[in-house]
Amino acid sequence: MRVSLKEWTKSGEPWVWLNAGAVAICLIMVVGLLSLIAVRGLGHFWPANIHQADYTENGNTLRMAGELVEIENVPAAQLRESGVNVPEGLEFMQRDLMKIGNRDVGGSDFIWVLDDFMLNRTTPEMMFAAERREWGNFYGYLRSLKENGQVVASHDGYEKNAEYMNVWNKFQASIDRALDLHHQIEEIEKDDIGAINYELERLRLKERSLQLKEVTDQSRYAEIDQRRKELDAEYQSLQQVLLDLYTQINRDTFTAEAAGGQVLEIDVAKVVRAFLPNNMSITDKVLHYFAKIWEFMSADPREANTEGGIFPAIFGTVMMVILMAVMVTPFGVIAAVYLREYAKQGFVTRLIRIAVNNLAGVPSIVYGVFGLGFFVYFLGGHIDDAFFPEAKPAPTFGTPGLMWASLTLALLTVPVVIVATEEGLSRIPRAVREGSLALGATKAETLWKVVLPMASPAMMTGVILAIARAAGEVAPLMLVGVVKLAPSLPLDTNYPYLHLDQKFMHLGFHIYDVGFQSPNVEAARPLVYATALLLVIVIALLNLSAIAIRNHLREKYKALEM
Amino acid sequence: MTSEAKTHAIDISAMQRDNRVLNLEDETCTLEVKDLRLSYGDKEALHGIDMKIPKNRVTAFIGPSGCGKSTLLRCFNRMNDLVDSCNITGQIMLDDSNIYDRSVDVAELRRRVGMVFQKPNPFPKSIYENVAYGLRIQGIKKKRVIDDTVEWALRSAALWDEVKDRLHESALGMSGGQQQRLVIARTIAVKPEVLLLDEPASALDPISTLKIEELIHELKNDFTIVIVTHNMQQAARVSDYTAFMYMGDLIEFGVTDTLFTNPTKKQTEDYITGRYG
Repeated sequence: MRVSLKEWTKSGEPWVWLNAGAVAICLIMVVGLLSLIAVRGLGHFWPANIHQADYTENGNTLRMAGELVEIENVPAAQLRESGVNVPEGLEFMQRDLMKIGNRDVGGSDFIWVLDDFMLNRTTPEMMFAAERREWGNFYGYLRSLKENGQVVASHDGYEKNAEYMNVWNKFQASIDRALDLHHQIEEIEKDDIGAINYELERLRLKERSLQLKEVTDQSRYAEIDQRRKELDAEYQSLQQVLLDLYTQINRDTFTAEAAGGQVLEIDVAKVVRAFLPNNMSITDKVLHYFAKIWEFMSADPREANTEGGIFPAIFGTVMMVILMAVMVTPFGVIAAVYLREYAKQGFVTRLIRIAVNNLAGVPSIVYGVFGLGFFVYFLGGHIDDAFFPEAKPAPTFGTPGLMWASLTLALLTVPVVIVATEEGLSRIPRAVREGSLALGATKAETLWKVVLPMASPAMMTGVILAIARAAGEVAPLMLVGVVKLAPSLPLDTNYPYLHLDQKFMHLGFHIYDVGFQSPNVEAARPLVYATALLLVIVIALLNLSAIAIRNHLREKYKALEM
Repeated sequence: MTSEAKTHAIDISAMQRDNRVLNLEDETCTLEVKDLRLSYGDKEALHGIDMKIPKNRVTAFIGPSGCGKSTLLRCFNRMNDLVDSCNITGQIMLDDSNIYDRSVDVAELRRRVGMVFQKPNPFPKSIYENVAYGLRIQGIKKKRVIDDTVEWALRSAALWDEVKDRLHESALGMSGGQQQRLVIARTIAVKPEVLLLDEPASALDPISTLKIEELIHELKNDFTIVIVTHNMQQAARVSDYTAFMYMGDLIEFGVTDTLFTNPTKKQTEDYITGRYG
């Protein structure tokens, strides 16, 4: 049966199609976005095969080895113009981005090569990749292992055989030993010496504060001196242990031959891990892959944030969001309760509501500027004058830090909480309030015991929206406390445990920093995607936990059907 | 009162015996309304009401919708204070003191004059906590005292047997009739002197309605009850005295039997015979 256009329009079907289409497009965009960053980000951790080839360009031949990172087509004309000898009749040539590593040999660890000019391609089984603490990855063949300069094992071939594997296994054992030592050194340097330094600094401040208060009681100075001497002694003994560990860790070196034939001697202590990607089974690769992802999530960054993990950034982001939620919730709820329950409804309250709603629309960088000017310089400056005069001229709270960042974001998100709470309060049935009042409860008692608990799911909705907004904010944070690399976490074992005055790292800023401020763009790019993916996951987890709390509250205070 | 000894069946003969001797002049009076005028903004809703509510009796307010019977009821515990534009003149005397006096503590007044609303409005808490709410508000902390009072109130509201095994479950899981009896239990738990019932059965099914009516009959031994109802049969069944209101005026007030069988005013007769309303 044919339906006329008019009837079809009247039936409302076009609108259904239009709506469904809009929803479908939104879904495709969101899924597309997530899969793009997921694929780009997560692919980075896969141990790719190492290709070796002879590359000839304009008569120069060079043997190179590396991982294939990216492929693109370039117009032949463009290549001809830049002086490349392109065969006749070609319109496009394939160009490959190879990660050749060995920055200490060749200067750059990524190069673009023309696919057609690569000859004798192989994936040699015994070509190994080593992740290093400096100079990026190394690709090459293992030649020998030395202890205290003495060769303990060596082999000169390129094929897989027992002799090569013997050197390789010894090399792995040596790496494990070095990693263990490195871990011990890190523990001493970060935890033990860190704690001593922290206490020494506190002693210095204590002494200075005594001087400022013009205390003349020498016994108190003596006490400080006494403690300082103890700490110094402790420090000296730790220093001795460290020295010993450093000698041990620097015992082993290895020599390796790069694809071009250069032989290098490298400290084993500099190697984070070494593996033979071309010789790995699929299970090995999967295990390696997950180990790398775990490292990314749990370790500190290395090499100007282009290697290693981003744990401090995850920690900073979560910490800041939690602090923000702790600050914004009471503030917004109290304001909303006053506005809805106590203030006389009229022109002024309407004006305040309009102002609050508009605050939500102020660009976030403006909040950053306000936070810097008011919180950091004004409030922080006065706090320093009042409570930390001994630390001056170094600022304590008069400099960007975790507390000011959280507070700035709390200010940024407070309108959302106010609006949501007011909405929730207005939905509490009048009958329930009257029921409480009729039992002899005062207005305040009714609010505390009945109305606020029933409105708590709405407050949580406000907090969820606030978290969603705050966790993704970067611009204001750059002004009030986020840094590229923070030496320590804002939460540690040194009294007072939570260091609100410290600067911290943040995933959003990390993306900006790695992506746009990094000296090694090619190495950083996949990390941008991976960090973005992690940021999305962290925000989603924060939101999900808030939603779980809200659903629990909803169930508990199920609104009456009235 | 020993709760075990209570029975919930209506003793018809006692009712009739009561009715025979009822006479407004002989009653002690709990609430006395003196020239009460109430207006919402410019619109006057009560035009000077004078009446006496007798102690330990059930007084019903009847009348067509919008006649001001609920408004008058809400004056007895100053619920109208919550309406911004509401303006009240005149007096309501509770035990010889004016409840609209400036020195009156409204929360304390509302404890003495409890109110049950049209729709059941339990709090989203457990059954136990609903009944204990008023006690906790009064600052009673002893668990023994609260436990005993909760049990007494639930028994008085004829609810104990149904809920004693699930006192700590949410009150929102109960049926409408149970919820309304819970609200009555909650109200009597704070031992008010007067119980105001604002169409307490209008949202309930017939069986629940019957239970509420039986309950009202039981409760009048301990409380002065004022009930607003749309349902004339209900008024006739449960009340000792009935007041008929029309357009903000008290038209007729007297012994229920007399008012229904032999009204003195034409408007009353028209209403109870169903000519309007």
